[in-house]
Amino acid sequence: MIHQGESKQRPFRQLKTSRVMLSGLALAAGLLALPAFGLAADAPAQATAYRDIPGIGSRNLVWIVAQLHLLLAGFVLGVPIFAWLCEIVGWKTGEKRYDKLAKEFTKLLTSSYATTALFGGILLFLLIAFYPKLMNYLTDIFFPSFLVYCLLFLVETATLYLYWYGWDAMSEGGGKVLHLFLGFLLNIFAFFIMIVPNSWATFQASPVVISEGSDLARAWAATWNPTWWPVNIHRLIANVVLGGYICGAYAGIRYLAAKSAEERDHYDWMGYVGNFIGVFGLLPLPFAGYWLMREIYQYNQQMGITLMGGFLSWLFILQAMLIGVLFLGSNYYFWLGITHRIPGSEMKYRKPIMTMLVILLLCLGVWMTPHSLVASLEEARKMGGTHHPLLGVFGVMSAKMTVANLMILVTFMSFIMYWRAGKEETATWAKLAKAVMSGVLVVAGIVVVILGVWGYFVPAIVRINYFSTSQVLIVLFVMLTITPLTALLLKSARTTTEMVWGRMPPRAGYALVLNSVMVILLMTLMGYARSSSRVHWHIYGVMRDSSQYAFSPALGYAAAFMALNTFLFCMLVAFIFWVATMGDKAKAAGGGHPVKDTVPHGTVPAMAGGSHALDKQ
Amino acid sequence: MSEVALLQSIGLCVVGAGVAILLFIKAQFVRVIGFVAIVLGLFSLVALAVPQMASLPPAEEKFDIATVKTPTDMAAIGQKIFFSKGQCALCHSIGPSESARCPDLKGIGAKLTREFIFESLTQPQAYIYMDYRHEGPPKEYPARMPYINKNPIGLSRNEILSVIAFLQQMSGEPITVNPSELDIPGTTPAPPSPTKAAEAEPMAVAQAH
Repeated sequence: MIHQGESKQRPFRQLKTSRVMLSGLALAAGLLALPAFGLAADAPAQATAYRDIPGIGSRNLVWIVAQLHLLLAGFVLGVPIFAWLCEIVGWKTGEKRYDKLAKEFTKLLTSSYATTALFGGILLFLLIAFYPKLMNYLTDIFFPSFLVYCLLFLVETATLYLYWYGWDAMSEGGGKVLHLFLGFLLNIFAFFIMIVPNSWATFQASPVVISEGSDLARAWAATWNPTWWPVNIHRLIANVVLGGYICGAYAGIRYLAAKSAEERDHYDWMGYVGNFIGVFGLLPLPFAGYWLMREIYQYNQQMGITLMGGFLSWLFILQAMLIGVLFLGSNYYFWLGITHRIPGSEMKYRKPIMTMLVILLLCLGVWMTPHSLVASLEEARKMGGTHHPLLGVFGVMSAKMTVANLMILVTFMSFIMYWRAGKEETATWAKLAKAVMSGVLVVAGIVVVILGVWGYFVPAIVRINYFSTSQVLIVLFVMLTITPLTALLLKSARTTTEMVWGRMPPRAGYALVLNSVMVILLMTLMGYARSSSRVHWHIYGVMRDSSQYAFSPALGYAAAFMALNTFLFCMLVAFIFWVATMGDKAKAAGGGHPVKDTVPHGTVPAMAGGSHALDKQ
Repeated sequence: MSEVALLQSIGLCVVGAGVAILLFIKAQFVRVIGFVAIVLGLFSLVALAVPQMASLPPAEEKFDIATVKTPTDMAAIGQKIFFSKGQCALCHSIGPSESARCPDLKGIGAKLTREFIFESLTQPQAYIYMDYRHEGPPKEYPARMPYINKNPIGLSRNEILSVIAFLQQMSGEPITVNPSELDIPGTTPAPPSPTKAAEAEPMAVAQAH
């Protein structure tokens, strides 16, 4: 049945994809024609450096298209990672629902892939049309990597086709192993597809001097610039976070609209997995961001100051707000899961949940405290400057690093609490293990705070090089200690209360949507930060932006654009997902068996380390 | 109406529309859109409530020979080139720096002659330094200085002379480059700048290092 359904959907989907591509090409052609009405006509005699279009302006158009392309690309590159991992879990545990979940993720990926490429093509045309001088310069340096990129795209596309269309054909025995290998290749190619263009973008932010040499040597020298690897790692993790939360939001919306208990079960579970993946990536993300920021400071202190202390400093207050809401949203979803999926646990977990909520809110308050307050002249005189006598203490990096680490610790513990909920440890060493875990957590929390306070009394370089890094290492140590210990402990645990799926209130679906919107906004915000940190340079310190758009717009104007881009992206993804799942709905309405499996009550999410076999004991 | 006020009005309208959808519409997907609209509208309003600072580009510097009257004028232009078009500061620092990837240029104008600096910029491989910072016999210094007078940097002779003037000035040395040496556009270029330094004064340079 599934095979037949697939074959019926395929021509329809291909037709849809072709239509999308054709309309996109028509749009691209139209957009390319627009510069003819603009500045191009002004200076035909000499080489054109810039072109513009009336109305929206070249920069704004590139901003929208680039942002949509990057968000789609982030999704397309992030999803294969956990789709493949889900497939492995399904293969190893023999649970079909993981395999089907992986297939559902891949279906979303396949339908988004063509649109991503389409926006990439439009972006390229626009860049060539609007910024010929810059593109000429970059082509001169990166020409060999352009070819590598094209080649990677070819093999990625071929692998994706094989991976998706071969899913059912390679579902058993050696075929499954081959399919998993294809998934592995897909991720490898996707990783390189990400890091190659990263080199172009990071070269613009942190260029190195290019000596004479072969084309390959020059391209390689430019590629290996100081922020290339920090951005690679940061984007890799961020893509997983983006993909996880978007899949979570998709499940959340499907959950809200679910008509049957079966659908509610499935999408509740899928929402849980999406949120889990998002949180899993979110926890190490600030560390990667810290590394990137450190490299930026080391590369060029002025650029670091522009970001953290210059005209972009208020941006980091917005960033704190978004990350804070994301942490709160993710934790809230976990807490809803504990109180609704595990019957009878509402009162039991109320106290720890309230404690964690208070800690998170306090930390968020500190993180969002600006270094300098907006004050009138009179207020500033009363305070003795723009720094508030009390709040000013929270406005510095030492405080912010401390609360960021504490928020990560709390979120991690929230997850551990969810993992352990409804189970009773039976191991003889359970008491000792729990004492060790509590001890590690308490000591880590205290040390993080002590280092944070101590950080006020040492030179900045000592704090940055030793204290902040120690805080990060301590939090990582906690995660790496408590996670395996909990997994071992729960291996022999007895389930006291079975987990029931499909009982989450509607607000859980909205929490998932909120989380995905926060992540998308964060990516748009930090994209603006990275781009604006170059100030009036196309390539920092090398090629100046001499167009009329050489200025960086104020945060309010930029935020309006970020909100617009986020909205457009959400609508685009919703449309793609709607098209992708149209066949399923038609099939379900026709009386066919739904593609998804019902999640048996009482199952423990295997991704969280649970064991179904042991649950049955 | 100012731009901020206009954007605030739009933000408020978006939030209002979102609230209206949640209050009056039953269709789940539309309700989700309303919810997203509220979140995005609130985000924009918060962003509009913080200080609004745009970053404006500084006035673009042009090398206008007519404005160069004294060696100090040349040094001032050279300083700008050093930190922008010349890309010198991408690798070199002036004074000790942890992030500098190439030699510190503080006092370089006092240590090296202008001829040698000119040659270092235009023929960087003409005189290879030896690196003694390891066991065994010295090796050629691994750093590769680009040709400053060729692409992608491509400084003109006038610009290179200005950079030399800047290096001399910031080393506390008298500026030996004179505005009369500058090429005037449309005229025959001055005889090539001295590039004999490597042959003439290698010992002096070696001792300086």
